[in-house]
Amino acid sequence: MSKVQEPLREKYRSMTPSQFFYEHRELAGFGSPSRALYQTIRELVENALDATDVYGIMPRIVIVVEKLEERQDFYRITVEDNGIGINPKYVPQAFGQVLFSSKYKLRQARGRFGLGAKMAILYGQIKTGKPVEVYTSPIGFTKIYYYKLKIDIERNKPIILSYAEHDNKTLWHGTRISVVIEGDWSRARSRVYEYIKRTAIATPYADIVFIDPEGNMITYWHSIEKLPRPPKEVKPHPHGVDIEQLKRLIRDVKAKTLIEFLVSAFQGVGKRSAEAFLKWAGLDPGLDPHRLNDSLLGELARKLREYPKFRPPSAESLSPFGPEIIEAGLRAILHPEFVVAVSRRPKAYEGHPFIIEVGIAYGGEIPLSNEPILLRYANKIPLLYDEKSDVAWKVIDPRSFNWKDYMVVFPAPVAVLTHIASTKVPYKGVGKESVADVPEIEHELRNALREAARKLRLYLLQKKREEEAKRRVITFVKYTPEVAKGLATILGDIDEKTVQEMLLSAMKRRLRLDDEEFAKLVQGLEISIEE
Amino acid sequence: MSIEEYIDKADIEARKRALRVFRERFREILEQIKRGENPTIMLPKRTLANTIYDEKRKLLLLGPEKLSRSFFDLHESKKFMQTLLMARIIYEALERNEYPTIRDLYYRGKHTIVYREPGGRKHEENTWDEQRESDSVIRDIEVFTGLLREEMLILSKEKGKVVGNMRIRSGGDVIDLSKMGHGAYAIEPTPDLIEFVDVDAEYVLVVEKDAVFQQLHRIGFWRKHKAILITSAGQPDRATRRFVRRLNEELGLPVYILTDADPYGWYIYSVFKIGSITLSYESERLATPNARFIGVSMTDIFGYKRKKPYLTEQERRNYIIKAKDADIKRAYELRNYKWFQTKKWKIEIDIFLERKAKLEIEALTSKGLRFLADKYLPEKIETGDWIE
Ligand SMILES: Nc1ncnc2c1ncn2[C@@H]1O[C@H](COP(=O)(O)OP(=O)(O)O)[C@@H](O)[C@H]1O
Ligand SMILES: [Mg+2]
Repeated sequence: MSKVQEPLREKYRSMTPSQFFYEHRELAGFGSPSRALYQTIRELVENALDATDVYGIMPRIVIVVEKLEERQDFYRITVEDNGIGINPKYVPQAFGQVLFSSKYKLRQARGRFGLGAKMAILYGQIKTGKPVEVYTSPIGFTKIYYYKLKIDIERNKPIILSYAEHDNKTLWHGTRISVVIEGDWSRARSRVYEYIKRTAIATPYADIVFIDPEGNMITYWHSIEKLPRPPKEVKPHPHGVDIEQLKRLIRDVKAKTLIEFLVSAFQGVGKRSAEAFLKWAGLDPGLDPHRLNDSLLGELARKLREYPKFRPPSAESLSPFGPEIIEAGLRAILHPEFVVAVSRRPKAYEGHPFIIEVGIAYGGEIPLSNEPILLRYANKIPLLYDEKSDVAWKVIDPRSFNWKDYMVVFPAPVAVLTHIASTKVPYKGVGKESVADVPEIEHELRNALREAARKLRLYLLQKKREEEAKRRVITFVKYTPEVAKGLATILGDIDEKTVQEMLLSAMKRRLRLDDEEFAKLVQGLEISIEE
Repeated sequence: MSIEEYIDKADIEARKRALRVFRERFREILEQIKRGENPTIMLPKRTLANTIYDEKRKLLLLGPEKLSRSFFDLHESKKFMQTLLMARIIYEALERNEYPTIRDLYYRGKHTIVYREPGGRKHEENTWDEQRESDSVIRDIEVFTGLLREEMLILSKEKGKVVGNMRIRSGGDVIDLSKMGHGAYAIEPTPDLIEFVDVDAEYVLVVEKDAVFQQLHRIGFWRKHKAILITSAGQPDRATRRFVRRLNEELGLPVYILTDADPYGWYIYSVFKIGSITLSYESERLATPNARFIGVSMTDIFGYKRKKPYLTEQERRNYIIKAKDADIKRAYELRNYKWFQTKKWKIEIDIFLERKAKLEIEALTSKGLRFLADKYLPEKIETGDWIE
């Protein structure tokens, strides 16, 4: 190996994750005071939801944003939940060490990167110098634990400023966390409200209370008792592996042979399918996985990704809303006249399972608009920014989707909810705001939209028929007095009332309506003639 | 003495008949309703496409196309209601010995239907908004009942006038049409109620222009030439047409029509003769198929083959008016109508289109009232120089 001379003036250093994210905080959504305020609320609320519904707890979340006396632009954000709490021994790391998480698992969660809460704390700390305060009590614990923490940015370690334990006589469980940050409420306000509203749409089983810095309180009480099915942790799917992951898996299992390794490390791979795969790949089933060199590992990873006969990835790791929850959420918040939702069967892209769900809300209090109102969700979190570059927009855009075929003619009062549940949502950037157009996902979105739109069409068709029937009846009924009077006057030997009754019964016959249907159509109809 | 005693017997008879026809026709509608059917009024379509020129009888008639106006048909329901409403008003007027005008009927029937929909919204709708609508309903009732509005004692403005050696009975009075002074007898809106008492005349001359009528009247044209002199004062109304028709049909008097020499004048003539497009359903009773177009014709102005013109080169230069685009357009339209496709009319229209010239009757009185009265008209009648 020849040594290359290092250029003298170049300096090298390494960075801890906390330093990296301190310098590049805009990557995580903390670029400006208004964005930071929104992002902080969002990270804390999503942690709170992750600690509740996933564990079968109906969430009760209180969000309070207060303006501090001491400085104009300092805000204290407090979020309290009734979740599973945090084991006190992990609290310092969970909130004081960037890239520490309980969610590095193959299972759907809102949080993912082990970053969110810490970014808020870090941002608050550097802008205001204030520590984070946490109260928490895990389920079954008889104490409530209190921590006041800061992050040692240089070393990516928590600094505990104070610690306390309190009695927990009522066996309260959950977490309450408070951070102080520099923010801009007036500019963040509408986004924050929109975020909370959209969160409420997706969690009609949650009680959410929000108190803003001006003292306004809004509440979203749950309208449904049902929780979404919780996700299960699963083993990786062979289609999704790369060399690094393969190495890690081999390190973590005790398997002595390749075939044992495949069966124990991957989901959906049994003895028979492992044999078939190895035969196809031309690999010896007896090889010791721990002795594979890099080129063989590369070969194995590639073959695993390419073998067409593995069972599709399991969707057990996913937690879709389910149609009932989507419909309840849309109904409770948007007050439409009609809702429909569909949950598609699981599909996969590159070994990652995903489920697409689409809900449509129509009419009622939804305002008329020249294009559908889009409510995007990925792993149950609402996406607010960069809507037009999202694959969901591409699919529902009236320029690509023929809404007319489904009797929707713009301007129309229509809102579309899309949800992508996946162990890996293909975000376009680190900001987690828009989803890339992966063909499989786009295809499923379109199928889901069609399926839901067909139901909307049936509804609109039925409605149109009813309206027409009603219009007919009203027209005929309103002219009936005049017609009856005319005939009664001219003929002289029959009175108006009788002619009217005869006309009504001929009308029912003509329109094939029984008395009950007819009564329903004319209920409340009043007619008078001003001569 | 009750008011009835002042009313003419003929009126009373007409009313009775109209009332009876109404009852009969609308009884059918009630029967449909009783049977649980969709009440339907069948009417001939009153459109140009359904207007047929009967070449044999030389009449403009309604074609065979029927329109069924059903109450339980969303688009016809309102018209159906309007028809019943109008029928009732007319019926009531007949019963009460009234003589409504079409404008009266419009006002009597115009009212507001107020209805509140189940959703709570309140709507207001007029039975009709413009007189055009109610007039059209009256026409529908005429065709449905087979009764002309005159037979339903509906009045309209009097427009036509008549003088001549003739006595008529109207409303119980005998009127001598030769004793009208400088005035004339206004042809009443119900000419069928007129009775012809006696007449001493050889033909009927209808003049389009009121002014020319007066001039001819004052110089005693009708006395000298034994004519019944009539003016329609422009487009003839129904009463004038019916009156002319009766003179021709019942008294056997030939009818000559004098109009301006232009497409508008020609159309007036054709309305007298074969009927109008909008009212083609009345042609059977209003048209006078034997009416003759006496002039002023293009050949009178310019001459044709061996016929010499009535006007000199100089007079033509003075009196002729240049045809407007609208006149020319109208001439092309008339040329398409079947009833203008006779040899003589073709010559007329062709000369007009070639010369692009028109002439008013007044031009002939300018040449000399005596010329018109004592030369032009008698000569043309004598030599048979008219268009049939
Ligand atoms: N409200 C909470 N209730 C329970 N656990 C929490 C709560 N907030 C944060 N945690 C724990 O702290 C960890 C770090 O949170 P965070 O920095 O937001 O990263 P992430 O959510 O991506 O894992 C979470 O993985 C979770 O275990
Ligand atoms: Mg998080």
